Amino acid sequence: MNIVVKHIIRFIVLVAAQVLVLNQLEIGFGIQFMVYPLLIVLLPFDLGIIYMLLIAFVMGISIDAISNTYGLHTSSLLLVTYLRPATFKLFGPRDGYDVLKEGNMYDMGTRWFISVFGLMLLIHHLWFFTLEIFRFDDMLYVFQKTLFSVPLSFLFCLLFQAMFVTKPNTR
Amino acid sequence: MRNLIAFFRRFRVFLVFVLLQVFSLSVYFTFLNFPRSQYLTSASKVSGLILTVQNDITKHFNLSLNNDKLQKENIRLRNRLPQSFQRMQNGWAKINDTLFHQQYEYIPASVINSTSTKRNNYFTLNIGAKQGVVRGMGVFSDKGIVGIVHTSSTHFAVVKTVLTVNINIDVMIEPIGLFGLMKWDGRDPRRGSITGISNDLKIKRWSKVVTRGGSGIFPRGLNVGKVEKLNPVEGKPLWDVVIRFSEDYRTIQRVYVIKNLFQEEQNKLELLIPEDKEE
Repeated sequence: MNIVVKHIIRFIVLVAAQVLVLNQLEIGFGIQFMVYPLLIVLLPFDLGIIYMLLIAFVMGISIDAISNTYGLHTSSLLLVTYLRPATFKLFGPRDGYDVLKEGNMYDMGTRWFISVFGLMLLIHHLWFFTLEIFRFDDMLYVFQKTLFSVPLSFLFCLLFQAMFVTKPNTR
Repeated sequence: MRNLIAFFRRFRVFLVFVLLQVFSLSVYFTFLNFPRSQYLTSASKVSGLILTVQNDITKHFNLSLNNDKLQKENIRLRNRLPQSFQRMQNGWAKINDTLFHQQYEYIPASVINSTSTKRNNYFTLNIGAKQGVVRGMGVFSDKGIVGIVHTSSTHFAVVKTVLTVNINIDVMIEPIGLFGLMKWDGRDPRRGSITGISNDLKIKRWSKVVTRGGSGIFPRGLNVGKVEKLNPVEGKPLWDVVIRFSEDYRTIQRVYVIKNLFQEEQNKLELLIPEDKEE
């Protein structure tokens, strides 16, 4: 499949899943599922950072417009996107990334995916909840929300990959 | 000049990031402080359409519960119909009532999008300016108050619910008639709190809390909830009254928008109050 079409489909599916399904799940303890940062980690390795920022902006705006959060999702997604090159460098293989591969858990291995995407999700959720609550005396609540939400969002992302990312043929 | 261009080249990624980030954060904080911008809300045409389609499916999940609620309300209203009263005295002439003028009108609506776990929760309604909804109208359901209309487009409206942090609805505690402002602490969608109540007054648990109707947004006496607990405020002679909402905002679907026919008159009159000058 053409790589552009593939990412557009992922974009639509992720926004739809976030807005129509995950935003409606409210299970208490301040837990909120957010899976859309997955699109950013799955973008090609050789894509320019400015294009990625623009994609993140469009995605954040479309989620914000439907779920009445007024720029919260956009802001946190932009932060994660901006930090993506640094994060990738931190955990990257010694001789750089193979541009033919993709940042999913099948191509890059589960260990790489957990550390890179886990860190990105953590930054995203922390920024999101800090902005949403925006009070210093409630910092504990921010941490509670972040700690509960990150693993669950991560599980949803694994599920999403199992459904929509094609496994490479293992010989 | 060349240095400037070199600077932009060097930091262009950072500049793009800062530009977009500043845009989104300014949208967010403008909304928190001055909720009047019209873009980026679920009252817009496209997102309103998406949410309508979604609600067409999900509204059936709570169908039986909502039917029960509507039936109960129907019974209550039916009990008030002239047909359900027996006429005790015949032969009285009917005269046009000049003692009572209608002050409040109600517009039925259904909630097509709602959240209850965020810090500030907004509901989207399926009616808008075409049905006469404007900013500042009250919204309630058969069990209790819901919120105040925040923005309205042609066909949709966004409601700032009781579950937002600075909602400040004036309420009173029923048998003694104490006034206070109701707030929400941002955590539990079942409980709110009333501030500004002096602690020399005795308040019974489970006494009713209703709207005061002071600002003309809500009529007097709409249900809000019941007093659950009294917490002392440290260092001040005040109670922090915890109330339990009578409406469950997590499953709400049918609401009514209140139109106060005398709102303009009240506002005009209250403008005449001279402002305090602090010198």
